[in-house]
Amino acid sequence: MLADFFAAWAFAYIGMLALCQGLERHYKQVWNKAPSPGLRRILRAAGSLSLVLSMYFCAQAWGWAMGSIGWFGLISLSGFGLLMLLPYRSRLAVWLPLGFVPVWVMITTWA
Amino acid sequence: MKQTLTQSLAWLHTWGGLIVGWLLFVIFLTGSLAVFDQEIDNWMHPELPAHQLTDEQAVERALGYLREYKADAKQWGIGLPNDRSPELRASTGGRRDGLSVTLDPTTGDVLPVRETAGGRFIFLFHFTLHMPRMIGIYLVGALAMGMLAALVSGIVIHKKIFKEFFTFRPAKGQRSWLDAHNASAVLLLPFHLMITYSGLAIFLVIYMPAAMDALFDGDREAFFKAQGATPAALEVKRPENIEPAPLVAIGPLLAKARDVMGPLNAVNISNPGQSNAEIHIRPMTGNQIALIKGGGMRFNGVTGEQLSGPTDMRASVLTHQVISGMHFAQFGGYPMRWVYFICGLISSAMIASGLVLFTVKRRRKYASESRVAQRLYHWVEAINVTVIAGLCVACIGLLWSNRLLPVSMAERADAELNVFFGLWVLSFVHAVLRARMQAWREQLGLAAVMCLSLPLLSLFTVNQPWAVHSNMWLELTSMALGGLLLWSCWKVSQPVVERVPRKKAAVMAEVN
Repeated sequence: MLADFFAAWAFAYIGMLALCQGLERHYKQVWNKAPSPGLRRILRAAGSLSLVLSMYFCAQAWGWAMGSIGWFGLISLSGFGLLMLLPYRSRLAVWLPLGFVPVWVMITTWA
Repeated sequence: MKQTLTQSLAWLHTWGGLIVGWLLFVIFLTGSLAVFDQEIDNWMHPELPAHQLTDEQAVERALGYLREYKADAKQWGIGLPNDRSPELRASTGGRRDGLSVTLDPTTGDVLPVRETAGGRFIFLFHFTLHMPRMIGIYLVGALAMGMLAALVSGIVIHKKIFKEFFTFRPAKGQRSWLDAHNASAVLLLPFHLMITYSGLAIFLVIYMPAAMDALFDGDREAFFKAQGATPAALEVKRPENIEPAPLVAIGPLLAKARDVMGPLNAVNISNPGQSNAEIHIRPMTGNQIALIKGGGMRFNGVTGEQLSGPTDMRASVLTHQVISGMHFAQFGGYPMRWVYFICGLISSAMIASGLVLFTVKRRRKYASESRVAQRLYHWVEAINVTVIAGLCVACIGLLWSNRLLPVSMAERADAELNVFFGLWVLSFVHAVLRARMQAWREQLGLAAVMCLSLPLLSLFTVNQPWAVHSNMWLELTSMALGGLLLWSCWKVSQPVVERVPRKKAAVMAEVN
């Protein structure tokens, strides 16, 4: 359950991050240049897909009824975390998902 | 003067938000804390030992006590230890007139615990505001309507919802406050709407009694009876002559109940030791969203035969219970509790940022306003400090009073509440007397220091302060919140650099 919960949260964060980077203002904020329209479309599609994956893992952790409530909560919270991270450590906000992988491995091997 | 819709709604949002915002902040912050009411309760009863009793062993301990000391009682109740609480309780009598004691899980004797307001106070305060009768409940309902109005008007006047979805520009004075207010409101909008609406729906019978009055002539009992299911199952024939009879072994019944309903919460036995004894086993409410009222399984107390099982709720009742359950957040275990807790804290911060924004927007204009307006703003500032920082001081002060007041003091729970409300009144006096920035800094700083040093306080006042794990978690959480308060205290102390050019600021003021 903990691994599913973490995966749900991680995909929620990645989804919000991709949607955020799909906006010109925030892409510039991190990379100091404008994204191409194609890249923006890819980022948005990837973001939506990631949110769907997040919902799947929420359902794995909690069941579909509770999972959908938890899903909204996790999207909101990861979006808020991103909001707070972006202006202070924008590069960290973007590279953070790489850190999820070892954490997820640790959780799955322990639990 | 003719106004556009946006302008009228901006006016409503500003002034309506200010009026309802103060108490809404109180409701949201205490509501967030109430997510962990049981854990706070454990912490406020530091005498409770950690243990690993199974349900069967716990029931045996409690029955041992009840048989020895309360053999002639008509009703026995046993509150089982569970995931959230290590407390084993034994009670006699009904829910109203009953007497309840905490038992030592190893010896089965009465365990002396301190009298305290407990986590229950935070929970009750969240929706009654400690007001007598129903006043608090009606007031909180009206405020929830105000919250919905503020949310809807806020959505309408916020013109760049998607463009500024992730936008937060810190260290820019008013701009930053507005960004923080907008982004936290928009990102958590599903939570805000859900928690406000479901909060209103819990008391729908109280707020909208017309249907009940029309259908049941205002007879509450009849209404609740009609909500309950399957009266047929209760029509079990009773033995005609009541005579002494030994109680059936409860162990197998517990196992059976656990198989059907999941983790168990309580066992109630009526007429113990007699031929018409009945055993009622209730589940925890954690494995489904809906709250369970009067659910559980009933067994014959002599033969162990099942009299009635967990009943299905009617669709209308289930709907209400699911909506209420979404508010109570008893489902989904600790991960869900943390989601609710953090969402609730961000909501509180969103309301607080709105309140602060009201004054930040007007600070620049102070000098040019009339004396009356200046007075008004001074009071608004003072109330803001009291409501936001003062409540933090009062809440952590409640925990401190639990450790510092003498354990055997008479009327101890009331004394704790006196500390809570006393600190809050002092915070108001302080906020009126001190200059605005000093008041913010000093009260936030005090709350931060009290939160951060909570583990030290426990260390010096309690034996084995972290034997029960939830106590350690509570203190770690308190330290984390203390850290946030310290950070905000430090931020408040920073001189504001107004880098916004004048012209742009005027446009902004118009937008919001």
